Amino acid sequence: MSAMNKYLIQFAQSHEEFRLPELDSLAKLYNVSLKYNIQDYKKDSPFFIVEVASDEAATCLVKRAILIKNIYELWGSGETYDQVHAQVTDSNQTFKFIVKAFGSTCSAEYQLRVINSFSYLGFKGPIDLKNPQVLFSVMEDYGIELNAPLPPDYPCAIYFGRFIASGDRDLIQTYNVKKRNYIGNTTMDAELSLIMANQALAAPGKLVYDPFVGTGSFLVTCAQFGAYTLGSDIDGRQIRGQGNKSIKTNAQQYNVHGRVLDNLVFDICHHPWRENLWFDAIITDPPYGVRAGAKTLGRRHEKKSTKPKTTNELPAHERGNYYPPTKPYEMSEVLVDLLEFAARFLVVGGRLVYWLPTVVEEYTNEDIPKHPSMRLISNSEQTFGVWSRRLITMEKYRENVTGIYHATVNKDYKGLESIYQTGAGIGVGETRNSNGSKLINTNNNGDYIDQDDDQRKPGHYLFRQKYFSSKSQEKSKRE
Amino acid sequence: MRLVTHNLLQCHVKGCDTNNFPLELSEIECESQETDFNPQFLRTMVPKLEWDALVRTAMKLGITTLPDKVPDTPIQELDEKFLRNLHTVLFETHIQQGKMTCPNCQHVYPIKDGIPNMLLNDNEV
Repeated sequence: MSAMNKYLIQFAQSHEEFRLPELDSLAKLYNVSLKYNIQDYKKDSPFFIVEVASDEAATCLVKRAILIKNIYELWGSGETYDQVHAQVTDSNQTFKFIVKAFGSTCSAEYQLRVINSFSYLGFKGPIDLKNPQVLFSVMEDYGIELNAPLPPDYPCAIYFGRFIASGDRDLIQTYNVKKRNYIGNTTMDAELSLIMANQALAAPGKLVYDPFVGTGSFLVTCAQFGAYTLGSDIDGRQIRGQGNKSIKTNAQQYNVHGRVLDNLVFDICHHPWRENLWFDAIITDPPYGVRAGAKTLGRRHEKKSTKPKTTNELPAHERGNYYPPTKPYEMSEVLVDLLEFAARFLVVGGRLVYWLPTVVEEYTNEDIPKHPSMRLISNSEQTFGVWSRRLITMEKYRENVTGIYHATVNKDYKGLESIYQTGAGIGVGETRNSNGSKLINTNNNGDYIDQDDDQRKPGHYLFRQKYFSSKSQEKSKRE
Repeated sequence: MRLVTHNLLQCHVKGCDTNNFPLELSEIECESQETDFNPQFLRTMVPKLEWDALVRTAMKLGITTLPDKVPDTPIQELDEKFLRNLHTVLFETHIQQGKMTCPNCQHVYPIKDGIPNMLLNDNEV
């Protein structure tokens, strides 16, 4: 193995639980050997020291990262400038110096003083502010203390490094859903959709599938990174869109229409994929609570149609926008089906990336569904107070033996059932957990819904209790 | 729907598990749309394709450019002419309207505005 060098990653302060999994995914994707000390990682700091072999490897690692701003070759670090200076060596290329403070500000005068403190370097190359061959950066980390009236007087860490490469956070603006031609109420925000594409290791030549495609958020971000994508959904209306707005026009907007191959209307429980079709990744946000079970397409099959197996009272539409009758799809069933499907249809080494909603208070790691052919790669939480959702990344690490291995979901998975459970899959879902004490109202997206009924009180009450208890914990921690 | 997708689909009516592929095309309206050529992806797709079915289906649409068999060379050595030709058939041929019928159970899957409807009837699941 070639020698490893120290590099400094500057993360974005955003989705902190997702930053290391994304970094690991990119290391895997580009086959970069990456070393770091997990104890050094702090959620409230943008800085993280890693070891990779070369500038090229460092560039690979970050060039399509969404949660990394920059990577630097680390020349020195410490709590004081004396410690930093002691580690710094020489260079003779044209250069530029910048000084940045995180969690504080620094005046131009101060910046100049810092820069001059490096004058002992005796750089032979000229200064070039526009096109320097080398960009040096001094970064002072003052820490992030949200409630502090003033930043501390001294930084907790100082880093000095040579700029190597930037991540691709500009993509967040490119894929901003506010500027997207076609969106729906299940459209995932751009930053998370892009992170998910990285978790899925989407890359040129790969085939990626979303079985609950909705408005196609993940098809376009995976295609952005070169993957070819397929989607399906029980609800053809979402795929077709309206007028001149559809998944197809989104693909055209982002100029990835050559790689957004097709979207089909069907229910993943009863899918038409031919056996031995292997996907490199499955990436999805399952619509927990909405079942795509029993289907009646009366119009086209009238002569064959026997009596429907279920009695469901959704009106049958005459037109092509017909949405079939549905019955509730238990969350645990969705998860079992999804894992079984992934274990069967992924290539070995392929990834399943999906969202799992949880009640914060009741969640345990045991709640993550398991399959004997799949292993957990990462589990990153995005919290919304009482409930959260977790981005689960799994890898199919060995061949699935059909009929022997099965997915398992914790039967006591109250957390999920108590958040998401809807009747016909339309409108508001509201249920209790087994002891009946809690109640959360959500719509299909999991957004909270204002509802003026007595049942809402327990949810509120719980929220207040949780909110204040977490505050007091923080306070006692500080004291 | 691109022709590549057609090659990945079989009839999935409950109990219909023999002679359920390929779905037979009829009343088809096709469109051709140029897309970027990616030999790498084509090479990964070739082993996944059911070649005979692809050739037969293409014939039905009047496309006679495909050889009867995949050239007997390692995947990495498939020549550009073959791959470009395959690219046109698989990725640039879009079925906009039409029907796909299961050769076994005769279930009809309609394609409307390029989107195949693969939903089943109540009694078929």
